[in-house]
Amino acid sequence: MTTDLSDYVASREAILDHVRRILRDTMKLKIEPQAIDPDAPLFGTGLGMDSVDAVELVIQLDTVFGLQLSGSPEAFLKIRSVNTIVDAIMEMTDES
Amino acid sequence: MSREDEYRAIRHSVALSRMDHVGLLRLVGDEVMEAVDAVCSGDLWVRDSRMLQTLILDDRGQPLADVYVCPDNDACFLLVEGITSEELSARLARHVDPDLDAELEDLRPDHELLSVHGPYAWDVLSRWLTPDIIGLPYLSFYRFDRGICFRAGKTGEYGYDLMLRSEDAEEVRGELLELVTSLDGAEVSLETLDLCALENGFFSVRHGSVEGLTPIELQLQWRVSTRKRFPGVAAIEERRARGIGRRLTHFVARDEVKSGDVLRGPEAPVGEVMTAAFSPSVGGVVGTALLDISVAHPGIDEFFASDRDSVSPIRTVSSPMLLNRSLLVDPRRQTYATRDGETDPPLWQGSLP
Amino acid sequence: MSDAPRITGWGAASALGVGRERLQGALLSGAIGIAPILRFDTSSFTTHVGAMVAGYESDGRDPTVLCHEFGSLALRDALAHARLDSESLGSLRVALTLGASLFGDQNTENLARSLAKELSIEGPAITVSTACTSSTQAIGFGADLIRGGFADVVLAGGVDVLTPALFAGFHALGVLSEGPCTPFGQQVGTTLGEGAGFLVIERGGLRDATTRALLRGYGLSGDAYHETSPEPRGRGVAAAIRSALDDAGVSETEIGYLNAHGTGTIANDTAEWCAIRSVFGSELGCSIPLSSTKGHLGHAQSAAGVLEVISTLECMGAGLAPTTAGFEGPRPGGPPRPVSAKKPEPLAYELALSTNSAFGGNNCALVFGNAARAPMDADKSRPVFVNTTAALCAGASNVEELASIYESKSAPSDREIRIDLAAELPRVDLRGIDRASELLTAVTFRALAEAGLQLKGEARERTGLMVGALRASPDSVGRFRSSIVERGLTKPDATAFAQLLPSAAQSACAKALNIRGPQSTINIGEGSGLLACAISAWMLAQRRDSDRIVAAAVDVRTEGVAGGALGDAACALVLGTAPTSVEVVGIGVAGPDHLDEAIAQAQRRWGSAKPPELFVDRPKPLEGMPATSSSFALAHAVHSLRQGRARSAMVASKGTTASVAIILASTEVIDDN
Repeated sequence: MTTDLSDYVASREAILDHVRRILRDTMKLKIEPQAIDPDAPLFGTGLGMDSVDAVELVIQLDTVFGLQLSGSPEAFLKIRSVNTIVDAIMEMTDES
Repeated sequence: MSREDEYRAIRHSVALSRMDHVGLLRLVGDEVMEAVDAVCSGDLWVRDSRMLQTLILDDRGQPLADVYVCPDNDACFLLVEGITSEELSARLARHVDPDLDAELEDLRPDHELLSVHGPYAWDVLSRWLTPDIIGLPYLSFYRFDRGICFRAGKTGEYGYDLMLRSEDAEEVRGELLELVTSLDGAEVSLETLDLCALENGFFSVRHGSVEGLTPIELQLQWRVSTRKRFPGVAAIEERRARGIGRRLTHFVARDEVKSGDVLRGPEAPVGEVMTAAFSPSVGGVVGTALLDISVAHPGIDEFFASDRDSVSPIRTVSSPMLLNRSLLVDPRRQTYATRDGETDPPLWQGSLP
Repeated sequence: MSDAPRITGWGAASALGVGRERLQGALLSGAIGIAPILRFDTSSFTTHVGAMVAGYESDGRDPTVLCHEFGSLALRDALAHARLDSESLGSLRVALTLGASLFGDQNTENLARSLAKELSIEGPAITVSTACTSSTQAIGFGADLIRGGFADVVLAGGVDVLTPALFAGFHALGVLSEGPCTPFGQQVGTTLGEGAGFLVIERGGLRDATTRALLRGYGLSGDAYHETSPEPRGRGVAAAIRSALDDAGVSETEIGYLNAHGTGTIANDTAEWCAIRSVFGSELGCSIPLSSTKGHLGHAQSAAGVLEVISTLECMGAGLAPTTAGFEGPRPGGPPRPVSAKKPEPLAYELALSTNSAFGGNNCALVFGNAARAPMDADKSRPVFVNTTAALCAGASNVEELASIYESKSAPSDREIRIDLAAELPRVDLRGIDRASELLTAVTFRALAEAGLQLKGEARERTGLMVGALRASPDSVGRFRSSIVERGLTKPDATAFAQLLPSAAQSACAKALNIRGPQSTINIGEGSGLLACAISAWMLAQRRDSDRIVAAAVDVRTEGVAGGALGDAACALVLGTAPTSVEVVGIGVAGPDHLDEAIAQAQRRWGSAKPPELFVDRPKPLEGMPATSSSFALAHAVHSLRQGRARSAMVASKGTTASVAIILASTEVIDDN
């Protein structure tokens, strides 16, 4: 693996793990973080989060990562799966 | 109807299709949920009139069937892809206590499944069925005079599957087609539906080989219980303990890439292509790949598919990758006739490698 | 002569004024009581309006102090309207039914006690804590106390106060409208309010009083669906409405006006409109005059129901239908033409229907007005039996082990209850369930399972759940309060907020087990479990909307809180109309200082010349389980009868705000051979 790639993967995996833990704790799931698939849907199906869970998730993402999400459909896109959340966080970090 | 036209119907207005590939079964009795629990991999946390998507695995933990479990009072509907009703019956016989009060009925001989998909599918149904359809939550179902309406769908757009008695099916198809075409929609083929499913990250049990793969590699752990015993659980526990070597990852590519192509990185092979198809939204190929776990992440440009003749770079992406129109539509505020689609952002906001 | 309880007066303290005359004047002029909130800082929220009680907009005193003051004003106002002075009160059997949920960890039974004391109410004071249905249900239970002969006069209503934490919780859930709410209208969301209201309900023929309206009937149901969202097709609301119509002996075509819950949120208004059409039919549903008074008063939460009934009564008396203030055109999925002029519209009607729905799925509907029921034979009272029982506390995981505690007379050494609810209910999603919900669900499930009752089909609608509980679960309360301390009011733990009600355990249990029949959470402090049994018994005897009711109670150990429970405990008794070996033969309910009267009532209803053979007290080794210990006593009494130790037994409890007595008798014929 090239150094760039390995750096990228390492950052990604760190954030991935952290987001999985937040989801696990928000949903009070009794599973290991790795049991949350990175592309699993969070709402409707998949993890089955509802609107009340979403409130807590958005607060956590703001508190832990400084990721601020409005109520718009575009913002909702960023929390469709763990990977989309990680994408949004990495994009935010890149911009800063 | 060209593939492009069918695709446009699903993604921008509304589409009608026959779902002959879906098995329609019902279990009846006092202990149907125990019976379903015994053969399916997921925790059946699903209430009456709701639907839950789960799997049936073989003893090696490989997915055999993709199932919607739909409890309905003393019965349970099963919408099944991947195995026949005989095969399901055999599995029940093998894994379920014979004393349990649960009898399997195959509904296919007397029933058809017609589906309506698209950002304005609800518009068609609100006229054909009831305006209250906009209040029917995703993954729930209800009975109407001519059958049962399941709100599900694997395209990422609004989707309604209508289970009808065979004798009503032709008439209903005619009525729906008229409404669908009045909204600039079309009847579509299974191939186009499958393309949409691929774009939106829906697992297809009918595509790609799952040889040697468990839900852990396939990103389907959400359909697998960590608590109960079910066929395939031992294999999954063993794989979990060992750790997986590869994981399913989504990608886009500019050029022709096909299932089975080897994927290489700058230094070594990193995996292989599972499924691939051309996407009009992306303007290139979308697909799934099995990548080495150390690099199975979106956002990577270093890999390429190669065969004897060509080398095609791929870019791994997160799923779902489209800004589905259904997310932007508000059934309470607008219909297809009053829509304003001019200001919608593009369906795909990424770029090809 | 109708046997429906008479409404002889009412009183209110609301955003439209303190006193019913102010409320009437404001309603008739189309005034809106929603204004920018002054009591606390709302600058970091996205909405800033609320409906505070007039004159108290900036009053930042403790919520319980404000509740007491609002309640006191409304009660005095009601008594004056009914022309009941303290002398008359003293000579009658007067009860108080108070809808109050407060914050889940506040002491609502103390609020009831202090109001009763201040107004010299000697009879039972029962608190109903089911959030937005609290006062509506309190009115229903008030009617029951009259119909059942437990009281002559009932002051029935509720109180609530708008606090920063409450505002923050609703705000986090995204259900508040930016400006004043417009129920069924263009703007989506609700506006919170507060206040107090009481009806004076009394038995006919007692004194020379003006009957202003008749309380014809009520209905209860549970959605068993979700912690905060209503069942989208309004299934539960429709069931409550049908049950109320049935109780009133009235068909839906006789309703002349409907006061909807109409909060303004999409979820509520859509579900409610589905329910209305389902009960009345599309045509009648679209033409029946209906409105929501939350446009005037905001959502007064535990006081919403009674204030909405009072608003209707005020308008009804003036030949008017209340209007939906702020409405400017319907929204899709809502009624096309609610009453929505700037002022109430002229309308002559004999009967009104009022509905309310709450977090956790409780629904309640009331039918009231000026049409008397045609004379008819009253439905005969049905006999009520105890089916199965389940008990849970440290040292006892069933009734047999509870019996050992009674026998040993010493406290169990094992302080922990260990249950694996997921193993008992493998197909129920128990993620996030709090301690109170877990305990209550366990005993309710076990009692139903032992009775061989699988709740499917119609059985779900015909099974009820009556719970005695004093507080919300301390773990949920703790999580909510911590979140505010750590993250501030704009970022509360929304999931914990949804569980912050004393009725959260009842709702969670109903959802887990699919119990959709009449249900509620009541509180008299000590003895709440026994009252839950009494209410269940009188509902089964007098009403026809259920075949069985699980009468339950739950306490959760609360560290370091004065008056909090000392140990986890839960108990459930399945009461029903199907005969078993133990019958409930006598019930008595009286004031907290009149245990002897409660016992006498029960004895009279039993009709036996002799007293019961056995008296079962609370298990002395088990201290500090205010809701549950009296239920344990009843469960032990049932057990003793089934063991053949006696042929009749009484459990009597001098509770914090009411005394309750229940007599059980064996039904088995003794073979003298």
